Amino acid sequence: MLDLVARLGQTPAGGLVDVPIEDADIPTVTQWCARTGNELVAVSAGVARVRRGRTADPLADIAPDRRPGARLWLYTNFDCNLACDYCCSRSSPKAPRRALGVRDVGRLVAEADAAGVLEMFLTGGEPFLLLDLDEIVATCTARLPTTLLTNGMLFHGRRLDMLRRMPRDRLTLQVSVDSATPDQHDRHRGAGSWRRAMDGVRIAQAEGFRVRVATTVAPGEEADAAALRTLLDGLGIARPDQVVRPVAQRGFASDGVALTVETLLPEITVTADGVYWHPVGVDHPDLLVSRELFPFAAVVATVRERFADYRRTAAAAAELFPCA
Amino acid sequence: MTQRPLLVGAVAYTPNVVPIWEGIRDYFADGPAPMDFVLFSNYGRQVEALLAGTIDIAWNTNLAWVRTVLQTKGGCTALAMRDTDLAFQTVFVSRAGAGLSTLDDLAGRRLALGSRDSAQAAILPVHYLNRAGLAGDVDLVRINSDLGKHGDTGRSELDAIREVLDERADAAAIGITTWEAIGRDELMPGALAEFWRSPAYCHCNFTALDALPATRTRPWVEHLLAMSWENPRHRRILELEGLRRWVRPELDGYASLFEAVKEQEISAYW
Repeated sequence: MLDLVARLGQTPAGGLVDVPIEDADIPTVTQWCARTGNELVAVSAGVARVRRGRTADPLADIAPDRRPGARLWLYTNFDCNLACDYCCSRSSPKAPRRALGVRDVGRLVAEADAAGVLEMFLTGGEPFLLLDLDEIVATCTARLPTTLLTNGMLFHGRRLDMLRRMPRDRLTLQVSVDSATPDQHDRHRGAGSWRRAMDGVRIAQAEGFRVRVATTVAPGEEADAAALRTLLDGLGIARPDQVVRPVAQRGFASDGVALTVETLLPEITVTADGVYWHPVGVDHPDLLVSRELFPFAAVVATVRERFADYRRTAAAAAELFPCA
Repeated sequence: MTQRPLLVGAVAYTPNVVPIWEGIRDYFADGPAPMDFVLFSNYGRQVEALLAGTIDIAWNTNLAWVRTVLQTKGGCTALAMRDTDLAFQTVFVSRAGAGLSTLDDLAGRRLALGSRDSAQAAILPVHYLNRAGLAGDVDLVRINSDLGKHGDTGRSELDAIREVLDERADAAAIGITTWEAIGRDELMPGALAEFWRSPAYCHCNFTALDALPATRTRPWVEHLLAMSWENPRHRRILELEGLRRWVRPELDGYASLFEAVKEQEISAYW
């Protein structure tokens, strides 16, 4: 105990101290740490590792709606009517359907709600390929505000009927439009896709849905932001609903922003194959969190714990790696 | 013309002095009396710098305060202190069951003391022994393991406890903060027991020379006193420095140390 007190006294806040410990002393050291506001990190092989002071909460500086576990993404199916060349999930007409199904979605949403999830996001491939999508959406919106990602190209026939059956009040439709004119959009998403996406935006608006437009910017192809903004303003898309993000170097994309599990703020993502760290990484095992979807609270706990570990490790590395 | 920030000196007795003072400096940056800080390796150098005008304010231990008063012939002012500085105490501890219950029981026994420049673990304990009529009757085991820092590190007090546990001393005199830090006699029942506790006395304070005008110190003190335990950013600093709130000084709490320094003929200088 005296060694521990002496060594911690000379340790910077947040620093770690390893001291030899006998099993009989573990309760005393545990009590001492609790009493003095220090953290017993681990006891292993006769050594107690103690952190000086309380660990700063890695979540404290993150806005509540972006904290790990605040957002839940569901990949509803994976197959798609488009084959975008930068698709992070390798969705395409050739991708086999891997659907979550209404039953699992229902259980996930119920458990997510209980676990503190604030908002749901549904993505495909193209979710409107599913003919029970309205049921899936209703299951989600019954509990949580939901955003449904779509390319907006399938709003006709029975899929238009399905759209019309969806709730307006807690659902946002997020349509992908990459440019103010067809060229750039169609180069990545296929000929004629820009015009049909724009039609989709107008149809969704006419049906009374809140529409968000998401623009994906490929490397070296800065979007004509001003022209796109003018277009979207003209359509009545609110500024907060005009989202621009870069291509992630994942899936089909050989170029783009490199993302790692240690540096990505997690947005828990569930597919038929398992739980992933973030929606950009469902094609990559490095972002796999668990093959088990349930209990969902355990998934949230795991992600928060890993995120906290990454943040602490990064902070410690910053402390330990002064260059001068 | 913009005045230069007040320069506050502190002794680097732990690596946490850096985040403490960076935090305090940042807090003051947004207020009416910006400040910066300088760290010293010992209180002797710090008081020299205060007297030379290199720094405006010194975060002094009680012995550094007494020496500043003596060197300036009273030409200095205590500006503020921690709430915990108002009621510091020295605790005499022994092995549980050692049969010590009063200071008188120390006659003919060995008392481990901390560094000789530590008010709480050496100077005042000797003062209490003298007051109890035990001068020369107690075998003093001195452990000068953190000289220059006036016992701030706690190192010499922990070493004094080791002397007791290793049976090289019958008792140890330690500061209340060290006694609290090791969990008093509650975490290791049967190991150590407190058998005497001193009257309360004052410990650290912010010291300025009288030459520093009140127009400069007043807004600084007011802003210091405004730090709040309820504010998480302030609280982090307050926790590290070991207080819940800053308070105005009460100088009566230094009387016993002035007496002790005089009777033990401790130099006003280093």
